[in-house]
Amino acid sequence: MSTARADIIGSIRRNLSKSKPFDAVHAEHKHVESIANEACPAENVTAVRKLLHNFTASAEMLGIHIEIAADEVEATDLIASVVDRTGARKIAVSNSSSVSRLIETIETVEFTVDASTEFLFDSDLGITSAQWAIAETGTLVLEAESEDHRLISLVPPIHLCLLEASKIRQTLGEILELTGRNLEHTITFVTGASRTSDIELTLAIGVHGPGELQIIILADQ
Amino acid sequence: MQQLTAETFDQNARAALNDPVLHGALRNLADNFVTRRQNAMASVDDWEGLREKARAIKEETLLHLDDYLLRFVENAEKAGATIHWARDGKEACQIVIDLVKQRDASMVVKAKSMAGEEIHLNEALERSGVEPVETDLGEWIIQLAGETPSHIVVPAIHKTKQQIADLFVEKTGIEKTENVDVLTKTARDILRKRFAEAEVGISGVNFGVAETGTILILENEGNIRLTTSLTKTHIAIMGIEKVIPRFADLDVFLKLLPRSGTGQRLTAYQSLITGTKKNAADAGPEEVHIVLMDNGRSRMLSHPVTRQSLACIRCGACLNACPVYQQVGGHAYGSVYPGPIGAVITPQLIGISKAKQLPYASSLCGACKEVCPVKIDIPELLLHLRAEITDGTAGGSAINPERKRRFAESLAFKMYGMAWSGQFSYGLGTKAARLMQKLVVRDGKIGKASGLIAKLLPPLGAWTAWRDAPAVAPKSFREIWTDGI
Repeated sequence: MSTARADIIGSIRRNLSKSKPFDAVHAEHKHVESIANEACPAENVTAVRKLLHNFTASAEMLGIHIEIAADEVEATDLIASVVDRTGARKIAVSNSSSVSRLIETIETVEFTVDASTEFLFDSDLGITSAQWAIAETGTLVLEAESEDHRLISLVPPIHLCLLEASKIRQTLGEILELTGRNLEHTITFVTGASRTSDIELTLAIGVHGPGELQIIILADQ
Repeated sequence: MQQLTAETFDQNARAALNDPVLHGALRNLADNFVTRRQNAMASVDDWEGLREKARAIKEETLLHLDDYLLRFVENAEKAGATIHWARDGKEACQIVIDLVKQRDASMVVKAKSMAGEEIHLNEALERSGVEPVETDLGEWIIQLAGETPSHIVVPAIHKTKQQIADLFVEKTGIEKTENVDVLTKTARDILRKRFAEAEVGISGVNFGVAETGTILILENEGNIRLTTSLTKTHIAIMGIEKVIPRFADLDVFLKLLPRSGTGQRLTAYQSLITGTKKNAADAGPEEVHIVLMDNGRSRMLSHPVTRQSLACIRCGACLNACPVYQQVGGHAYGSVYPGPIGAVITPQLIGISKAKQLPYASSLCGACKEVCPVKIDIPELLLHLRAEITDGTAGGSAINPERKRRFAESLAFKMYGMAWSGQFSYGLGTKAARLMQKLVVRDGKIGKASGLIAKLLPPLGAWTAWRDAPAVAPKSFREIWTDGI
């Protein structure tokens, strides 16, 4: 045990024991509820359709563009139309299998997998998928274990994200329960575009991360 | 800029009250944050229940802080993180400097960290020849200006758009503009170059989960994600009180913190980092170092009242709600932690003798207690610290210059107590007061115009320097009642 470690743990224990006589008196005046190791109760699984509606409502409140694709063909068309609309030429895509499948037939533009950091800094658009989503907050959940989207969702000025409707859950609590089982890899929650209010509390979008977040939801698989 | 100290709060506050530019900068604070917070609170079913739960989790953690901390360390190490222990700020700075130097880095990118501000890490890095680059927009602005943060969440809240525009012209060479989008884009472009060249990134920590060894960091801008995923080495500075027991507890805190801080349901990004990356080809740092820092925190465990200070999750809601903060801003507190929470944390961190005025920098209105998401009783803490000051337990020296005043003060309060606790003594007291006040009353009140005698009586002099005291009425209500109205 290093000296600093021993000193700090020692100091914590010493001070806590000093506090004991006061604690008894204090507890009489103030009711501090003690809690057991209770997990957050997961709400009933809401129907996919309702979750889709709730997610869309929350996300649109934050200025996120949402498109719903009935099938993969429609999703491909939607990706192509985002590319057209934004005029993106340098496009980085993650190694997600659903992304690869969807962009396969788009031939008007080149998609770069395994993009270097240099490429990313110069890119126009990043395309990834998300592993989960939270309806109550309009949040995308990116698990680095499944996909190399840590930088592709962050560095390009526009982030286009695919989401399967069946991956939407209503609450943050449900998502923490799902993601908490395997935490070996970094997890990122994304709720809207990068933003700041640091100058006179005036909102500015796209300060360090993407200024635009576009989500394509695959309604049914 | 001259740095203000906590010792001179009274002077600092007086200067701030006469600063129209500062008031211009702070004018949006209450409206913006207070309203947004109220709307965000309404999006949760049982806000009060959440607060209770958060406080209970914090209390449980703090009562077993040694256990939870060691469990956190064990799990973080298992996941590949390296843990460092720092007894104080100096030790924490040295650990960071050594890590940076061992990696031959001459600059580091920094994501906003209040713990880093607390230990003046930037100055320490600069002294060792390492350039610290703040990347949070607000932090970058105050770094350019050579200033310190004046708010926990919005560090540059004291600066007007006009001032920031001038600063950008001077430091970045752009043409003058007050367009916030253009200013933001300028910062983005300049800082992206720094991100691209950085090898080491430094961040703070919002929550460390004992059960899993995970650290969670919240933000809106994306600079924390860049700092913690583009660099080869990530150093996270974490106060020992940041640990929470279970991963599921994050549900409670992630509901409370953004809503209280910025009025958002969630901030734009949360990074949940558990140790190092597991595959060499993945994005992300090869090394994750967590510096666990005490720096005066373990001392606060020694009493249930002071222990509350360690429950703080740094949301800044008490600053926004505080009528004193709204008027004087953050710098007057002379500490990186301003506002009500600063007034209680700073004296405990730096020693109460160096911040004696701070526990009095409050009217005890209780707005801070009402908004605190973890139910810290700040007024109770302020009174506790005031008692420490007047009991003479603070100050350290046996020959205490304030000892005489304290004796006079406690004697005065004893007499006051005696006079008001019996009908006879009370009646006698008011009669005496009616007689004596003839010397000082002018136009029915005791004020500045009351002349020399009022000034010579110390308590009256201090009171009437800023406002009038009403004179005692010629007849009390009880007397009027008895005589018949």
